[in-house]
Amino acid sequence: MTGKLDAILRPLAFILLATLICGLVFQIAGYSALLMFDSILDGAFLSRRSLEKSLRWALPLFITAVGVGISFRCGFFNIGAQGQFYIGAICAAFAAEWMAGAPAAIAVPLGMLAGMAGGALWALWPGILRLRSGADEVITTLMGNFIAGLILVYVTSGPLKDPSGSGQQASTRIVPEEMRISDAGGVSPTIIAIAAAVGISGWLLVNRTAFGALAGLAGRNPTMLRFQGGRIWQLGLASFLISGALAGLAGSVELFGPSGRIASGSLPAHGFTAILVALVASYAVLATAVSALFFGGLFSAALFLPILAGLPASAIDLFNATVALLITARIALGSRLHRLPGRWRNG
Amino acid sequence: MVDFHEFFVAILRSGTPLVYAAMAGVIVQRSGIWHLGLEGIMIIGACATIVGIVLTHSFTIAILAATLTCVAASALQWFVIEKLRANQIIVGLGITGIGIGGTAFAVEIIFGSLAAVSAPFGVPRIGGDFGPYSRLSILVLAMPFVVLAIWVLLSRTRFGLRLAAAGEHPFAARSVGANPSVMRLLAFAAGGILCALAGAELAAGSLQIFAQNMVAGRGFMGFAAVIFGGGHPVGSALAAAFFSLVGVAGIRMQIHFGAFVSHDLLLCLPYLATVLGVWLTSRTRRGTRAAAQIAELQDH
Repeated sequence: MTGKLDAILRPLAFILLATLICGLVFQIAGYSALLMFDSILDGAFLSRRSLEKSLRWALPLFITAVGVGISFRCGFFNIGAQGQFYIGAICAAFAAEWMAGAPAAIAVPLGMLAGMAGGALWALWPGILRLRSGADEVITTLMGNFIAGLILVYVTSGPLKDPSGSGQQASTRIVPEEMRISDAGGVSPTIIAIAAAVGISGWLLVNRTAFGALAGLAGRNPTMLRFQGGRIWQLGLASFLISGALAGLAGSVELFGPSGRIASGSLPAHGFTAILVALVASYAVLATAVSALFFGGLFSAALFLPILAGLPASAIDLFNATVALLITARIALGSRLHRLPGRWRNG
Repeated sequence: MVDFHEFFVAILRSGTPLVYAAMAGVIVQRSGIWHLGLEGIMIIGACATIVGIVLTHSFTIAILAATLTCVAASALQWFVIEKLRANQIIVGLGITGIGIGGTAFAVEIIFGSLAAVSAPFGVPRIGGDFGPYSRLSILVLAMPFVVLAIWVLLSRTRFGLRLAAAGEHPFAARSVGANPSVMRLLAFAAGGILCALAGAELAAGSLQIFAQNMVAGRGFMGFAAVIFGGGHPVGSALAAAFFSLVGVAGIRMQIHFGAFVSHDLLLCLPYLATVLGVWLTSRTRRGTRAAAQIAELQDH
């Protein structure tokens, strides 16, 4: 049980520490840290309306983070969730475009599948490069993020350009009303059902299948995996594909759901936040839901922060980055932790 | 010929920040750590330079301030990786986030808006009568000498050999009285100075402007140049120059073939070249990988 307690207390301690550090920084910068925390709580969690807003951002984050967790658990640092999210949304947008006029009951599921396929494809090539040639997935997936961002700029100003779009931010044409799975509020039974399905199948995959057991082994001790007769090749490719597909699914949920379109450069921190969500949850699916709600709440609060506390929205970015800085630290909070065998990555 | 010179100047201008960032990555790589915080520390350097020039009207003070903040950020990264034994990749991304978020935050509290900050002057120019070259900053002129100096430092001095020992075989470093942990701190500090130069050249070399998130992946590209160049200073500098060549060539192609290929897709070229480079590296050398845990680099 100590292990489980550690897994809950450690992230809480680090989040508290990051809160203290950032509060201190904001106080020194001349803002009231207390007012800030107060407005974050108010803006994110303390009322039904604000909780609903937090949930709107938490649901896509959760879907992506479950995938990130599976890939990290397997020992592969697929940090390309951002790019996979974009490509997923782009593919879903193309599918929606082609199926315009088709009944929504067919078009929307197919569009989501297209999004998943797109995300998976964007994780497939780094996966193959990593598993066949040993090209480090950290760099390839990172570069994939930049390339996907540029493809999004291209698509929104070219093939899928919304002619009515004005101003600086190009975006795709808006998805037809009958294909939308939620209003702009972003919390609808369909989206909750999708997130729940992802959560349940993710949990089953990790805890009740051979894949889950072997993935955990691959992440902790790849040599052991080889002795157990596991195939790192298959396992790794599956983890890349699953994480990519889920990020792509989150992209298409965003497209068919609250946003209704995908603008160039929209949600630039989605992938990074999803990585944080997964790390804070130590890749456990249930904990991922909680931490997704937390970071979704922060994101939602960031939109109000300038109004309520007079703080720039970048304050939340700073806080998230501080959590990222500390979350993998192995301070002796329960000295057994850093005695855990095993490597973080596959050799 | 004039066109060739313009082309070469464009490569020097866009490549110099990459080369400085890559040099920071090379030194830290030698000490056994992957420097994924380059992006964040570079943007801190860029921001500090411009803000320093605007507030003090002195380039010297600005570059000193940039150096100090970058060294401090690098030391923070070292501390979390080395002393708190955190995962170096996640910490690198965290430092990048702190750099991007922190500079946006700082600009907003100092100037009251998120608009780009422009400075009245930038890095001193070469000047004289060298045609298009005289418009380049002195940091461009210094770049090849810095690369050579780092090469000598890493392969011909006691410090360089101890640094390599700290990264490859900590026990060997310890046995000659060098503390691997301190060696890594020194590597990060040197990396901080180089990142400050990279940021200064990027923001004040020709543009004299600081905008949010203006590094836009160049730090990561510099890191990829380290991998592409096999961790060798000259190789990595050439790799950085290659990435910048691809980028500049993309812009030129845009002028000539713009009707056929989208500008945004041509902008992908440096990133694609990076992927290609990393793939080639992994085929030719047995793929470079980060140490799994700092414990592997601490022999006690």
